[in-house]
Amino acid sequence: MSDKIPPQEAENLWAPYVPDDKMPWDLRRVVHLHRRAGFAATWSEIQRDLKDRPKPSIDRLLGGKARGPSVPPDFERVAALLADAAVSAGDPARLKAWWVYRMLFGPDPLGERLTLMWHNHFATSNAKVDDLAAMRRQNDLFRALGRNPFDELLTAVVRDPALLLWLDAPANRKEHPNENLGRELMELFTIGIGHYSEDDVKNAARALTGWTVEDGEFRDVPARHDGGDKAILGRKGTWKGEDLLKILLENPATAQRLAVRLGEQFFGEGVLDKTALDSLAELLRRNNLRVGRAVETILRSRAFFAEKNLATRVTSPAEYVIGAVRALEMLEPPPSTVALADWITLLGQDLFYPPNVFGWPGGRRWINTRSVVGRANCVAALVGGSSAGRPEPLNAMGNAVRYQRGGDLEDVIRFYSELLVGTAPSAAFRERLHKALGTKTALDSETARRVVVLILASPEAQLG
Amino acid sequence: MLSRRDFLGRSALVALAPTVPAFLARSLRAAAPQRDGRVLVVVQLSGGNDGINTVVPFKDEGYIKNRKALRLPEKQVLKINDQTALHPALGDAMKLLESKRLTIVQGVGYPNPNRSHDRSMAIWQTARFDPEEHNGNGWLGRALDSVADSLRESDRTRGASAPPSSLFVGTQALPTALRGRRSAASVLSRLEEFHLMGEAAAVRAMTSSPAESSGLSDFVNRSFLDAYTTCDRLAEVARVQDAGVSYPGSGLGNRLQLIARLLKTGFAARVYYTSQGGYDTHAAQLFTHANLLRELGGAIRAFLDDLAAARLADRVAVLVFSEFGRQVRENGSAGTDHGTAAPVLLAGPGVQSGLVGTAPNLLDLVGNAPKMTMDFRRVYASVLEDWLGVPSKDALGGTFERLPLFRG
Repeated sequence: MSDKIPPQEAENLWAPYVPDDKMPWDLRRVVHLHRRAGFAATWSEIQRDLKDRPKPSIDRLLGGKARGPSVPPDFERVAALLADAAVSAGDPARLKAWWVYRMLFGPDPLGERLTLMWHNHFATSNAKVDDLAAMRRQNDLFRALGRNPFDELLTAVVRDPALLLWLDAPANRKEHPNENLGRELMELFTIGIGHYSEDDVKNAARALTGWTVEDGEFRDVPARHDGGDKAILGRKGTWKGEDLLKILLENPATAQRLAVRLGEQFFGEGVLDKTALDSLAELLRRNNLRVGRAVETILRSRAFFAEKNLATRVTSPAEYVIGAVRALEMLEPPPSTVALADWITLLGQDLFYPPNVFGWPGGRRWINTRSVVGRANCVAALVGGSSAGRPEPLNAMGNAVRYQRGGDLEDVIRFYSELLVGTAPSAAFRERLHKALGTKTALDSETARRVVVLILASPEAQLG
Repeated sequence: MLSRRDFLGRSALVALAPTVPAFLARSLRAAAPQRDGRVLVVVQLSGGNDGINTVVPFKDEGYIKNRKALRLPEKQVLKINDQTALHPALGDAMKLLESKRLTIVQGVGYPNPNRSHDRSMAIWQTARFDPEEHNGNGWLGRALDSVADSLRESDRTRGASAPPSSLFVGTQALPTALRGRRSAASVLSRLEEFHLMGEAAAVRAMTSSPAESSGLSDFVNRSFLDAYTTCDRLAEVARVQDAGVSYPGSGLGNRLQLIARLLKTGFAARVYYTSQGGYDTHAAQLFTHANLLRELGGAIRAFLDDLAAARLADRVAVLVFSEFGRQVRENGSAGTDHGTAAPVLLAGPGVQSGLVGTAPNLLDLVGNAPKMTMDFRRVYASVLEDWLGVPSKDALGGTFERLPLFRG
């Protein structure tokens, strides 16, 4: 469905974006940047970035400084306490709430988005691991190494206790190899389907024998390792686990798969074609699979700010819910993070419990009957306050007035449309909104709240 | 009321409508293969159901000798033949049997039975004996993997929308039985999840008229319209109750009623799973067990009658199992302790009604419990291959001889 991009233009796609008449640095692109690479932005952050132009705005996101003064000064300490308490209480709901707290208040929304990406890539579920300390440790690992060269991340994740338990490494022994880890390492974590044979899977499993978890820690048990000859992707040797990782990392298909992952994260449906993905993979290979470098290239690129990349991606439940709370500045007091995690679960993204090894399919699959109803009920609950664990309803009128946008109803509608969707409302959109508002349209705090619910729950607001 | 053909069409529509342009959906509706329309509803009896007092071998000397306070009087049991009867509280199940809608597979278990609730439930849910595999995928999840593949790949490339392969109705965590490598299960606890609440009700007006393009914004808009239609239909089927069908006002009754409503609305999952707890009857079992069985039989009969009135019952089979039966000789507190093999029930108009297999001899016990006469994987293989039409070998870790559980 995408237009073909000639090869000479593919390279050009990754060239830095410089605003011009066709691609101006406007409200839409600032809102796009924050919704696609973070969890939306407040009106003052949007105005700051509009004034500052692209480079400082993107620098701030890359450097974990986009949120400025709204980050609590003792954020890391509080976050650590929340995680410790969740782990010692053995309560998954509180561990989910901890991650929500990080997404909502942390200084580095891009880092949290990448953590979500790796959680999906190495999709590990506590349903099987049943160990919150291990799940938290894996999550922190994604956060710490998420921008590093991929070999560092992969090497650490394949020794991560939660992942090893998830993929049955303890059952993978010389006498009876278990293929689970070897298969997913090839199919999902590195080269992808079509680039290996079933014999490769068997031999990869043999290479990994001996890697296990004991007392919650990674252990390499030589007595369980199969030291025999193995042929993997056409290379013969007495391969061990680390040799296997090296073979997979050197295979060009790994960069290709990472390019697809980054594409899902930062681009809308059908925006990148094969040529564009090939050239992103080539860029990754040239840079030693340095993920942070690729992310920087993407966020600064013409491709990222191209017209066809705007509002062409279905927001995930976490992006949608956290983004709404951020944009509406419901931070003092915030909604209950446990309630937010519950909503995110209801909308289909049960954090720490991905549906299977493939993670969440995402894209159009985020939208179904239950989630359509759920998204509307969720924003109504957030705006109403009490059923989202917030002591007061959203002061929607007050916020508009604070930004000098509360003159009349049209002004309020336009303000919230710009804040939440990134554009002024079209005539058709306004017409639908007025139909939904009905006859009771006196400009008061109740009406302003209804405007917010209707905009956030509209089909348009699901795309970001 | 929906005709069966309408239903088949609608279920395909609900499965495909969000991505397939309407004209294409219409031709798919005409071609919907019947077998894909078949549905399995699993009812898990948690705690270990006393199979001996469910399907009662009232003439068995071992029964007469071992059961004292808990022996069901021959005058009261509901006789199937001159040896075997149903518990007096299973009048509704007897009606199902009389109308050829109930199969009873006798003596179902597995070799070297384990009497721990968790371990034995894990064996039933995964069809695997190695504890290392008990946290992995389940027998139904694995079986549904084989049909989830095509959806998955189309999704990867084009973002197609597919229904969940299975749905767990309840408030507990997703059962291992439904976990798969590719197939996706979802959990539904309340019908309210399909209601637009309060302020949210007004959002209906925010959709535009439907367009048939496959573009993303048209897809989203169409999905919104679809969702509201589905909610309306759910509300409608909830309002229009068929005369003469009354579900027991109990947890299981409510959950089966919810599943019936979803089926009437065209919900497209292949497997539905729910449970009824309370079967761990170590003390004063008589009264508790009778109530549980009355609720079970009443709920399943109401469910099948409800679906029959909606002309959907032909597509539905209900499988009832428990992690183990109970011991033959009762304990000192008028209860029974954890046992082994027990009957498995299959209900629906598509079953080959009657008794299947041989009842264990209650004079020939191991550790005060019956010896199994039927491997549970033979039941599973028949359900997968003959009812759902999906391969059973990988799901069950081997090939098992099937049983004549279903009609042609």
